Amino acid sequence: MTVSVPPPHREELPDEAYRRMTFVLRTGLLAALVLLLAALGAYFLRNPGASSGSVLSANPIAPYLSLAGLAHGLWVGAPEAYLALGVFVLVATPILRVATGVYYFHRGHERTMALVTGTVLLLLVLGVLVIGPLIR
Amino acid sequence: MELVLFVLLLALIAVAAGFVGSLTGLGGGVVMIPILLIFFGVPFPIAVGTGSVTILATSATTGAAYVRDRLTDLRIGMFLEIATVPGALLGAALTVFLTHANLDQALLIALGFVLLAIVPGTLSRRHEELPSGVVPDARSLRLGFSGEYHDAALDRPVRYQAAETDPALGVMFGAGVVSGMFGIGAGIFKVLALDRYLRLPMKVATATSNFMIGVTAAAGAGVLLAAGYINPIVAAPVATGTVVGALVGSQILPGLHNRTVRLLFVPVVVALAVETILRGLGLP
Repeated sequence: MTVSVPPPHREELPDEAYRRMTFVLRTGLLAALVLLLAALGAYFLRNPGASSGSVLSANPIAPYLSLAGLAHGLWVGAPEAYLALGVFVLVATPILRVATGVYYFHRGHERTMALVTGTVLLLLVLGVLVIGPLIR
Repeated sequence: MELVLFVLLLALIAVAAGFVGSLTGLGGGVVMIPILLIFFGVPFPIAVGTGSVTILATSATTGAAYVRDRLTDLRIGMFLEIATVPGALLGAALTVFLTHANLDQALLIALGFVLLAIVPGTLSRRHEELPSGVVPDARSLRLGFSGEYHDAALDRPVRYQAAETDPALGVMFGAGVVSGMFGIGAGIFKVLALDRYLRLPMKVATATSNFMIGVTAAAGAGVLLAAGYINPIVAAPVATGTVVGALVGSQILPGLHNRTVRLLFVPVVVALAVETILRGLGLP
């Protein structure tokens, strides 16, 4: 059974858009998991006597949540900084996927959809850069 | 507990949760979050942050396949994110505020009731796989919310047209609040909006919901990460384990009686929900 109202014509997103989004999701996930697992292994080696209580009472990535702190941690090879980077990559993956959508809607001259996805992108960035730090 | 043992236990339980979660369609987080709270003593906002990270990982895994197979309606999914993302930002901010106000107990009770609310939706399945008599609203027509996909089971292309976008946006906002507040995918609510209001075919509704879950979770996770409530020592093994479990589950899913698995799984979720409520009430 098909729908009773024939769908109107619309411009399809190009195949390239689907391929790019699949690539973004897969690459982002893989990069994040590799970073997280490698950094977790390094964290164990650096902190052989650590307990679950100590990790739960103080978030080990807290000093690396600012850009400066993260950059310094990565530079000196702190496993906690790489753990933070892994989480950042994981959070950034769907955000990058939204940015890909903005690009393709803009390129297809779909102003309303480009505006909608652009607003979503702005809200996502505001969540990380403004709302989170403000309510911390 | 020694940290290595703690992490290994989390990863093993997450594999099981991801496996069963993928078989039932509930997602691993529905089980993992109460387990983190009840059995591992993980603070509420850290458990929610872990749930958000887990959703990011699992939705990227399955979402990529759905996008590749063109089952996902990117246009509709991206449009509805205008409602789920503000909802998730609000939900995550509420969790942080309530935690700062020492209202974790209230959050536990609310989480328990949300888990109980999910169960009936999991058990019931719509009879109408392909909707008929769909009357599109003006916005659906203007933005071209229609499409076509190849249905492998029917072995033919299926065309569809979306209907009421206003109530769908309302439900999506609520789903976003639930997702941001409790770190669960809230896919049940998203599928409800895509199915009942937009009248999409169930396969498209499920794939589009999965596509949206990742962005909704990113909104909540972004707030929680910046607020310091994502602890990767907890989140990394849980996310990795859940992905592995979900992948294994998706491989053997076709050979299993899905409804039987779901019926077996429901009592577990109900028990965890009741235990979460009792904890929130301060009862043993």
